[in-house]
Amino acid sequence: MITRITSQTQLRHAQSALYDSLAQLTATQDKATSKQNISRPSDDPTGTANALAVRSSQSANAQYTRNATDGNSWLTMVDSSLSSVEAIMQRVRDLTVKGANDGSMSPTAKDALASELDGLKENLLSLANTQLLGRNVFAGTSSDAVAFRPDYSYTGTAGDSVQRRISQDATVRVDGDGAAIFGVGSGSVFALIDQISSDLRSGTNVAPRLAQIDDRMTAVLAQHAVIGGAENQVQRAQNDLSGQSVSLEAQRSSIEDVDLGSVILELQTRRTNYQAALYVTAQALPPTLMDFLR
Amino acid sequence: MSTFSSLNTAYSGLAAAKAGIDVVGQNISNVGTDGYTRQRLNTSSVPGATRAGMFSVGVAPGQGVAITGVARLGDASLDAALRAASASSGYASVRADTLSSFEESLNEPGSNGLSAGLHDFWAAWQAVSNQAGDPAPAGALLGSAATLTARLSTIYRGVQSQWGTTRASVDSMVSDVNAAAKQVAELNVRIRQSQLAGDPANELLDQRAQLTTSLAAAVGGTVRDAGDGTVDVLVGGNPLVTGGTARAIAASGSAVLEGASADPVTLSWVDHPGVPLTLQGGRLAGALSVLAPADGQGRGGMLAEAAASLDSFAVTLAGQVNAVHRTGVTASGATDASFFGFDPGQPAALGLHVIPTGVDGIAAAAPGAGGKNGTVADQISGLGAGAGSPDSVWASFVVGIGTASKSEQQQADLAELGRTSAENAQLSQSSVDLDEENTSLIALQHAYQAAARVMTTIDQTLDTLINHTGTVGL
Repeated sequence: MITRITSQTQLRHAQSALYDSLAQLTATQDKATSKQNISRPSDDPTGTANALAVRSSQSANAQYTRNATDGNSWLTMVDSSLSSVEAIMQRVRDLTVKGANDGSMSPTAKDALASELDGLKENLLSLANTQLLGRNVFAGTSSDAVAFRPDYSYTGTAGDSVQRRISQDATVRVDGDGAAIFGVGSGSVFALIDQISSDLRSGTNVAPRLAQIDDRMTAVLAQHAVIGGAENQVQRAQNDLSGQSVSLEAQRSSIEDVDLGSVILELQTRRTNYQAALYVTAQALPPTLMDFLR
Repeated sequence: MSTFSSLNTAYSGLAAAKAGIDVVGQNISNVGTDGYTRQRLNTSSVPGATRAGMFSVGVAPGQGVAITGVARLGDASLDAALRAASASSGYASVRADTLSSFEESLNEPGSNGLSAGLHDFWAAWQAVSNQAGDPAPAGALLGSAATLTARLSTIYRGVQSQWGTTRASVDSMVSDVNAAAKQVAELNVRIRQSQLAGDPANELLDQRAQLTTSLAAAVGGTVRDAGDGTVDVLVGGNPLVTGGTARAIAASGSAVLEGASADPVTLSWVDHPGVPLTLQGGRLAGALSVLAPADGQGRGGMLAEAAASLDSFAVTLAGQVNAVHRTGVTASGATDASFFGFDPGQPAALGLHVIPTGVDGIAAAAPGAGGKNGTVADQISGLGAGAGSPDSVWASFVVGIGTASKSEQQQADLAELGRTSAENAQLSQSSVDLDEENTSLIALQHAYQAAARVMTTIDQTLDTLINHTGTVGL
């Protein structure tokens, strides 16, 4: 059947062509102003799935970064406390060596040594109770106010440590193992120093205690090395996480965001198309036979 | 052949030309009228009179022109094609519109969607794990959990209200259909009477064709010509209109989404209440398919299925979080505490709420560990990753909605394209072309002038015969 063209169908064709052109222009304009490729799931279902996954990774990445930053401040605090602990232990060892010289030391001098040792022990105890934001850094997950009570008992739970998650399957221990560093109760470094100072006061030779001090210093150094390793791990994780965050954002942007250059070009093309359609319609519509009958 | 019969012949030409101009006038007047079908004057030539009598000899010319009627230049098959296309377009557009406005309400992908709420929720558990027993991160966790449940219930309420709106539109569509059916029946009667009396019924036919097309867009169905000027409209195989009788349909069933599975929305005939009416197309069929209850396999009505998916998401989320949370110890030392609870008597997605009200109710610590332990909180924060996690359940739901919406949209676009082209084909046949009418007008004007000329010529001829016979040379 030959399609009969009437002024009415011609008008409808022109109208629907204009409508299509305007609809495309509006869609491109929306895209250009929102700068989003996917404004609803049906725009690109596969892209939506990817966008949701990338956004989930981004959120996890941001949280791991916060965890790592927090872990880093714990480790820095533990690190500097342990440095002070080592300095004090060195001083304790020096004083003990001095006090072991039975012949040359008068009881008064030994008494002075003992007093200094008492002060050093107090320093050590306060270092062992170092806090970060209200948490004891040497007491694991204990909720007690101190890591070591005045009777040198340890408040932490054996085997329970403070962990920070730095990736989906990796955690880092960020607290110092108080029991391993300082010892517990009568076996603690505090009890040892008390013992040395009372030996000095009572005139007992303190030379045999040197080996115990050395053992303790070895233990502190070993734990310090563990902390250093953890610090390294956290810093590496921080680098990785910041690199990942950049690449995740690039992925998200490539899925969700429009390429501005191409969308502006598209917008310009559509605008030109629409204007052309308007012009052509204005030119084509008016004439009927009436215009030529006089 | 009488002396004056030629005058009559000339007059019939005048009358035909005049009637032709009238029809052109009607066409031009209705050039913009919706549903108007162009008309044409049908004429036929009148043969010469049969000779009688002994002395009648020679040839006799015809006796002019007779007006046989005004034809309506519609095409029944194009009308039927338009009705079929309208029915499928109506069905598809309702489904596409429903899905597209539902997916708008999801706000995905973006920072206002439920997935973003889930991410915040898991991150808040990490923060609790880092500072277990601290009121600040616990407060943030409870806040993000409340946001999450609020977003879920907002989406669910959106589904409910969309269901309710569609349900109300079913009622109004049913009353529109009943009114249109009644009008078709009335027009049937008037058209039959007009045709019996020989009166023109073209304009009534136009009105009826428009009504049957709008009926087809609403309920699908077929139109059958009964042969006496009336049409029967069949819906679902049963007559909606027969001659001058219209039957009514009624919608029954639940008015709220929750009651849809126990009392599904159905159509039935008012005069046979028990007999269900199954539609093949049209907006009403689209709305009913949207309102259908969920069937447990994801193939039920799209809104009920969406609501069921939201419920099962809520159950998954609560189940997974609670399973881990129960293994932990709260700050007050309690174990086996749930984090999420459900309000009884409410759909899971609406009734989901957070049980702890402060840091004391949150079981972040593993049993036997220190009070600041956050192992359990860390485990909960890890629930967001992996297969079967609430995040992946939600993502597959969103992607499923997106895919379904895209395919419904494409179907609706195709159906609309089909409807437009059917409408264009129908209009190209039935619409008035001004050029054509102008041409006819000129032709008819000349025909009128020529017929008048014939009359003048006969008049002058008779004048010669009557007044000048016998007056030779004067």
